Amino acid sequence: MMKKSEILACLKACDRIDGYEVSLIDKDSRELFYVLDHMEINRAVKVRKVTVKVYVNGKDSVGSSNVIVTAADDEKTLSKKLLNAAKSAKAAQNPYFPLSEKGKDIRNVNKKKRDLNKIATKVAKAVFKADTHSDGWINSTEIFVSEYKEEFLNSNGVDHVNESFRIEVEVIPTWRNGKEEYELYRYIRTDKEDYKKITEEVEAILDKAKARSKALTLKDVKLPEDIDILVKEDMLEYLVENFADDLNYRSAFLKSQHYKKGDLISNTPFDLTMRPVVSGCSASSRFDSHGTVLSPVKLIKAGKANGTFGDIQFGYYNKEKKISGDLKVAQLDAEGVDYKKRPHLIIEYFSAPQLESDSGYWGGEVRLARYFDGKKYIPLTGFSISGNIFEDIKDVRFSRKQTVSTRYKGPEYMIFKGLKIA
Amino acid sequence: MLDRYLKSRMNDAKRLVQDLHKYYDYVSVLGSAVHTKRILVSSHLHSIDDVDNECGFVIKVYKDGRYSEYSCDDIRDLKASTVIKTIRLEEIYSKDFSVKMLQEDEHVEDYLREDPSGLSDKQISDRLKTVKDSLHKKEERLINVSAVYVKRQTSKIFVSGKKCLSQKYDWVNTMLNCVVRQDDNIKSNYSSFGEADSLVALDKLSDKAEDILDIAVRMLKAKPVKPGKYTIITDPSISGLIAHEAFGHGVEMDMFVKNRARAKDYVGKYVASKLVNMYDGASSCLSAASYFFDDDGVEAHNTQIIKKGVLQTGISDCLSAMELGTIPTGNGRRQDYQRKVYTRMTNTWFGPGEDKYEDMVKSVKHGYLLCQTNNGMEDPKNWQIQCTASYGLEIKDGKFTGEMVAPVVISGYVIDLLSSISMVSDEVTVLGSGMCGKGHKEWVYVADGGPYLKAEAKLG
Repeated sequence: MMKKSEILACLKACDRIDGYEVSLIDKDSRELFYVLDHMEINRAVKVRKVTVKVYVNGKDSVGSSNVIVTAADDEKTLSKKLLNAAKSAKAAQNPYFPLSEKGKDIRNVNKKKRDLNKIATKVAKAVFKADTHSDGWINSTEIFVSEYKEEFLNSNGVDHVNESFRIEVEVIPTWRNGKEEYELYRYIRTDKEDYKKITEEVEAILDKAKARSKALTLKDVKLPEDIDILVKEDMLEYLVENFADDLNYRSAFLKSQHYKKGDLISNTPFDLTMRPVVSGCSASSRFDSHGTVLSPVKLIKAGKANGTFGDIQFGYYNKEKKISGDLKVAQLDAEGVDYKKRPHLIIEYFSAPQLESDSGYWGGEVRLARYFDGKKYIPLTGFSISGNIFEDIKDVRFSRKQTVSTRYKGPEYMIFKGLKIA
Repeated sequence: MLDRYLKSRMNDAKRLVQDLHKYYDYVSVLGSAVHTKRILVSSHLHSIDDVDNECGFVIKVYKDGRYSEYSCDDIRDLKASTVIKTIRLEEIYSKDFSVKMLQEDEHVEDYLREDPSGLSDKQISDRLKTVKDSLHKKEERLINVSAVYVKRQTSKIFVSGKKCLSQKYDWVNTMLNCVVRQDDNIKSNYSSFGEADSLVALDKLSDKAEDILDIAVRMLKAKPVKPGKYTIITDPSISGLIAHEAFGHGVEMDMFVKNRARAKDYVGKYVASKLVNMYDGASSCLSAASYFFDDDGVEAHNTQIIKKGVLQTGISDCLSAMELGTIPTGNGRRQDYQRKVYTRMTNTWFGPGEDKYEDMVKSVKHGYLLCQTNNGMEDPKNWQIQCTASYGLEIKDGKFTGEMVAPVVISGYVIDLLSSISMVSDEVTVLGSGMCGKGHKEWVYVADGGPYLKAEAKLG
């Protein structure tokens, strides 16, 4: 694979381009794949991904084109690719926007030396520590332990480095109830070597599989009308992202946004802030794909649209004074309510949460829910819920208990009324 | 023509196989070079980019009943000792486990299938621009059109003790998305077309453009479906979605190994109405997942999964076949050279029946024609369905009423749905423009389709 200096030399020698961005990502990963508690295969991955974007200016316009630099490239082939990309960029012109200017370079370098094979084995032990039941077991486990080094450079001298570490575990537990077996799915992502927490999370998903094995259907249980419905995890992240995307510079440019500054989104006075780095959110980053150093933006304040965010291209098009960069992590602040006093339905697991950002339709087939009838929780399965998020958000409430996930920090549950249950 | 770089690494692959054979009982090297060009013409932006290109290798070894793999960018200077050191685990945390070693037959062959249309980027951009401009002239409520062309050129080599294979194949997708807005009501509709020939893919896009826009406009007045059980007719994309999501994932035999698929207990039993036949295979038809050999070096197959309603067999990669004692069916696929092989579907479709589409519509007392794949999710263990159609058209007393519902979620139990199929149209369309994940990751290009199917289903 060509060195960074060789790639930069090719770019500087290409007189057909007016600017460039270079992204280099090195990945070093160790992976273990289990069927039950038998390791089926282990893998090692040592690769580099290099993407170069070249820019060619027109009179009041600019065009760009991506080039992927692979191990097949040398100085000669890359120079040819760059010339072709320059031709593409010249042909595909868009309204002008500048590249990120050099400011303070980000240097997030991790000097800790890790033995990835050893860590992967420790993770495996942590997973199987939870595998202690006679009627339930872990059917399939995949463990990925990875180190990443991301570098970003552009022709304005921006030069960022971000190193990160990630443990990912896919666990599929099964629980037997009589002759029938029931399974669920869990993907754990963390940037911390917290083996105890991994064991706890696997125990929790085994408990859910057990609940699914005993779950009743809506034929067996009559839910009260207008019941509080609580959503969490992936669906909650999708819903939050939907509002964030709506307040992205890009949506405003494409005229597909539902809200503009000052519009009432919800009668519930919650705040939503996009942040570069939130502890525990693995999507945290200090710079975006254009190399813009990220700064926080309060998108929703007291339930009203308050700000917008996004990358330099659409920020420039929209004449934004200060461009935030394309933030990925959302923090939601709201007063929590005590939902536990009334009957409620917690959606533990959708088979595939759905959300259509244009129409606001959201919902999905529920693989496991817990219905609290006022006295006890009853596991339920085999139904679907649906609603329109632009309507449903108006009277949303939140739990007091907080959570942190890949791209979200805030209340663990969003609480809705009036969703369709079928 | 096979990627020049892969060709230049053929001898390196042979050397590595020889060197590693001193330490391992089985060794193979897979080389992969994928070039993908994407041209976008939208109402606001235009771009011509390389996307998702990859170039790299996977070295697979076997010893003492277990496989290991090493993924890297280049093998030119790669030493056997580096591979051994990197994949060696000091401690193997596992119960005793042993998989049989792959047994291969001698096979040396080169395969080629290329896009016959040599269109320039400008010609393609101009075609897309014409479509975009014509739609804007037609409809004021149209706020964004995205017309996209993607051409993927895949080259692979596979070298082991007994095999030396190469393949190069192309596939083209075009896609059109129309977003319309009336006050705060925003709706979008899309359609995509997969073809082996750029010109055909672009022609189809042009031919269907106005229909795609018309549906988007009609969606502005669409209402949610009243939840309940209905008679449905599925268009070929929804038939394909059911074949793929509701049933196909459940016959991926790595799921049999993990005891994660209920289908394992249904081989030889009825799983659908007697009118139903279902197929999968890279050589079952020419579509998005038509390759010549899979990522295990196994030649493409055409597997009949359901015959007259009875489950015949599943599909498998090599490792699953070794564990189950069956014959691999050429369904071992990787997302890319950085990933593991899994059993994956390829081109998955229901076979034709004998009914005419018009007669099927006439036979519906009250129900919906469900159209346009939106998304789906598998549940091979418990056979619960989640398939979503972008829209449905109401039928009453055998006639379309003009009412549209959108979107429409089909749910229920897979076998109930397949067993309720009462009419099957006589023409099959396989749509080669999809991508499929396994669970929530491992994305590969797939095709699915079938005839129109009449069935009973729960909609919501």
